[in-house]
Amino acid sequence: MALRKPINSIKKTSRKASTIKRSLPEGAVNPWFMGGFGLLFGFFLSKSQATDFDAMQDMFRLKSVQLWGVIGMAIFIVALGLLIFQWTKKPTLSGKALDWKPLQFHPERILGALVFGVGWALSGACPGTALTQIGEGKLMAIATVGGILAGVWLYRKYPQVEENDEQVC
Amino acid sequence: MFRTLFIQTWSWWAGGLGIGLTALGLAWFTGKKLGVTGGFVDACSLIAKESPKGGWKFYFILGLPLGGALATAGHWNWTFLFGQLDALTMGSFLGKFIWLFVGGLFVGYGARWAGGCVSGNSIMGISLGSKMSIVVTVAFLTAGILTAHLIFKLFGVA
Repeated sequence: MALRKPINSIKKTSRKASTIKRSLPEGAVNPWFMGGFGLLFGFFLSKSQATDFDAMQDMFRLKSVQLWGVIGMAIFIVALGLLIFQWTKKPTLSGKALDWKPLQFHPERILGALVFGVGWALSGACPGTALTQIGEGKLMAIATVGGILAGVWLYRKYPQVEENDEQVC
Repeated sequence: MFRTLFIQTWSWWAGGLGIGLTALGLAWFTGKKLGVTGGFVDACSLIAKESPKGGWKFYFILGLPLGGALATAGHWNWTFLFGQLDALTMGSFLGKFIWLFVGGLFVGYGARWAGGCVSGNSIMGISLGSKMSIVVTVAFLTAGILTAHLIFKLFGVA
């Protein structure tokens, strides 16, 4: 009996891991590789002060240019890079076109954006920075992440916009 | 070098450059669009025991806390303090928890409704010249500016 217990528990965890793996769509990319990009993104968010509640409030209260500059610079770099990729006729490493299209225009989304803006100012965080804050040791961000999960869950139950375009951020 | 990497925060252009290059790298190597909300959607799918739509996004958001820990590794410390929010809630733990949870609820629901959060809409969407993303970003920032001004007026914190 004493021996059986750990074996059972090992079986359980390995089964869990394999269900996650099996439920991935075909052609999915390497988890470690994608996690690495997440790590980089979190690192730079933290370095930008985007994970700082006070810095976020200073942006909204127009007291500091820091985060305005960060967002502006990021948009500039990505726009420039995507243009260069297009010019070189090799938009991605594999040579295939990018995996996404621009968001379709639905005026209702403006309402959602206003809801998001209120939450952004209240929590001082967007989904990415809330998770990064936890890694920084700011444990209150667990409440923010819990709220975001609950909000996303609520949207599953009460969706507002017909998602005929499957490209949702 | 150690201080720059693991302790100090950077100026806006360096931080924005890093974020931009990460997004570009993701697009170049995998053809995918950077987006965090999708990771939360995948997490919800996993909780509901369905197969996630994006899949990779779940692994992506798992990396975020690690990045935050790395960026602050030189002076890492866990804390329940949360900047000016402590003054706004007069240091009440429950007050902070409810405040952030409600904020997160708005963020999660609004992000799905708006079709993406700041990473997906503002950074990637605008770069592609999507009209919807530009309108959505203006709405994000307008609501944020109004809310932040209102909060600090109402709660009397300078």
